[in-house]
Amino acid sequence: MKETVAVRERYMTSRVRTTSCCLWAAICLTLLCAFPALGQAQAATSTTTQAAPPPAKAAPTMDEPLDVKAAQPPSTDDLTAKGDPGGTATGTVSDVVAADPKKGLTLADVVNQAGQNRIAINFVWTLVTGFLVMFMQAGFAIVETGLCRAKNANHTMMMNFMVYGFGLFAFWVCGFAIQMGGGGPYSTLGGAYSLTSEHVVNFLGKPWGLFGTHGFFLSGASYDVGVMVLFLFQMVFMDTALTIVTGSCAERWKYVAFAVSSVFMGAITYPLFANWAWGGGWLSQLGVNFTLGHGYCDFAGSGVVHAVGGITALALSMIIGPRIGKYNRNGTPNAMPGHDLLVVLTGCFILAFGWFGFNPGSTLAASGNGALRIGSIAVNTMLAGCTGSFGAILYMWIRYGKPDASMTGNGLLAGLVAITAPSGFVSTVGSAIIGLIAGVLVCVSVEYVERVLKVDDPVGAISVHGTNGLWGVISVGLFADGTSNYGGSWNGVSGSVRGLFYGDASQLVAQLIGVGTLIGVIFTISYVAGWIMDVIIGQRVSAADELEGLDIPEMGALCYPEFALQMQRGVPSGGVAAD
Amino acid sequence: MKIVGVLVVLAGWLIPVVGITITQSTSVRLGLTVLGIAVTLFGIFGVLNKVHLKSAIWKA
Repeated sequence: MKETVAVRERYMTSRVRTTSCCLWAAICLTLLCAFPALGQAQAATSTTTQAAPPPAKAAPTMDEPLDVKAAQPPSTDDLTAKGDPGGTATGTVSDVVAADPKKGLTLADVVNQAGQNRIAINFVWTLVTGFLVMFMQAGFAIVETGLCRAKNANHTMMMNFMVYGFGLFAFWVCGFAIQMGGGGPYSTLGGAYSLTSEHVVNFLGKPWGLFGTHGFFLSGASYDVGVMVLFLFQMVFMDTALTIVTGSCAERWKYVAFAVSSVFMGAITYPLFANWAWGGGWLSQLGVNFTLGHGYCDFAGSGVVHAVGGITALALSMIIGPRIGKYNRNGTPNAMPGHDLLVVLTGCFILAFGWFGFNPGSTLAASGNGALRIGSIAVNTMLAGCTGSFGAILYMWIRYGKPDASMTGNGLLAGLVAITAPSGFVSTVGSAIIGLIAGVLVCVSVEYVERVLKVDDPVGAISVHGTNGLWGVISVGLFADGTSNYGGSWNGVSGSVRGLFYGDASQLVAQLIGVGTLIGVIFTISYVAGWIMDVIIGQRVSAADELEGLDIPEMGALCYPEFALQMQRGVPSGGVAAD
Repeated sequence: MKIVGVLVVLAGWLIPVVGITITQSTSVRLGLTVLGIAVTLFGIFGVLNKVHLKSAIWKA
């Protein structure tokens, strides 16, 4: 056993020696081989260092002062001495506002300025186009007054004048909140983030947005610059819808009934449909919830503004009934010409001018999100008005042998009404066709309403705004060409709006559901409300007041006192009907 | 009759609204929508307007 141990120790000792020798041999070999490689690597490293360009300068951080000397801002001395007649030295880096003047201009300042400039452009654009739409009130006022008889001129003018105030007040109290309170955020106007509360009910397994709940009295978080711009623009649209009714009900409508009706329409009827179409409500979500194209699309309001106004006008005109002398006992109609064609056609021009605010302004932007399509929208608006007047004048000329002035004016307006919904989605050829059809349609509709339905509409508002508003809504579903791109989606559905002629039949279905809602729901609300008002306060003036003319009985003053004096002397006067 | 007219008008609106929830077919939806519009127009012109024309001022 001891021997065995001794042998084993010797064996282990010799084994250790052998291993040590091998290890040293390996280290030496490794060093011999590694030296040349190490030398090459060192050479390569030094080569790389020599060939590489100097390291790039780090990008400035957002709050680091920028070196703006390269921008070469004009010197104040030069500007003081010479001014800037060429306009090349105005609006430079010197005009970018630094948050901290002591620190100097930073990248954060430049970026914030760019963002604010975009929103500022959109604010100014939306406000100015809103001002244009507001001026349309003047156009409506003189068109309607001119188409009515002189003995009712003060009454008609005062309805158009005060519909602005009544509507505005109602819209401020609750109309705006119902309409837009749940449709936000509105990115083109900086967000308006307070308007994001929509009352939604679940019906048949889908969410149905019914009305907004934020923005009453423009108070709380709605006290916001973006919300104010949106309010102004939407308010003047709402008022356009209200003033349509004053035309169809003119010459026999009690002023107090008009006042109550206008407040109701500005507070409830108009905002409800506008919410469904523009405020994130159920019609706008037909695409998301039911795969119907991009949902109900109404770019600037053929349906929301004009059809709502025209359909309400139909409901109230049916309730109030025709003017005394409009129809004979056998039901045949009598012409009751207006008293001043001059102001009628001037008013049509004012309206056409205002429409450049109506349609292009509905982008709510002039910068970003495809808003440069405003050029196309403005031309579409022009063209449809033009072909609308062509359609009407040709129809009247061929049918009655004379170009009728008031119907030509109505043709212009009909073309403009019809292009309002599709203006942002169609080509110029499409807009010309839409306008031409509208011009003929308004003449046919006026005849149908007057002769078949026997509904008295002194200014043709039902046909101009109702019939052609519906035609405009339908035409989106036919002519939308799929080239528009407002931020890549519309009503939450990506891509561009296409109508039936461009491959999307489901868009037409969405538009027709909008039409059905206008004549089904909006008519019903207007009719029932008008009916209740008729029972409580009465909608119509007395026969004696109507025969006398409403200026004195309702308003207490004549619009044309000297004209009345001539009548007393027996001087013939055009435009005053013989009752 | 006025109430009947109002109900017919509303019924016409409900046809496409219910229709889009029960079918995915675009052509069926289109047909139901047109039908609904026709019913609504009948309610307005065929029922309600006739009620008002019966007592029209020019017939007195």
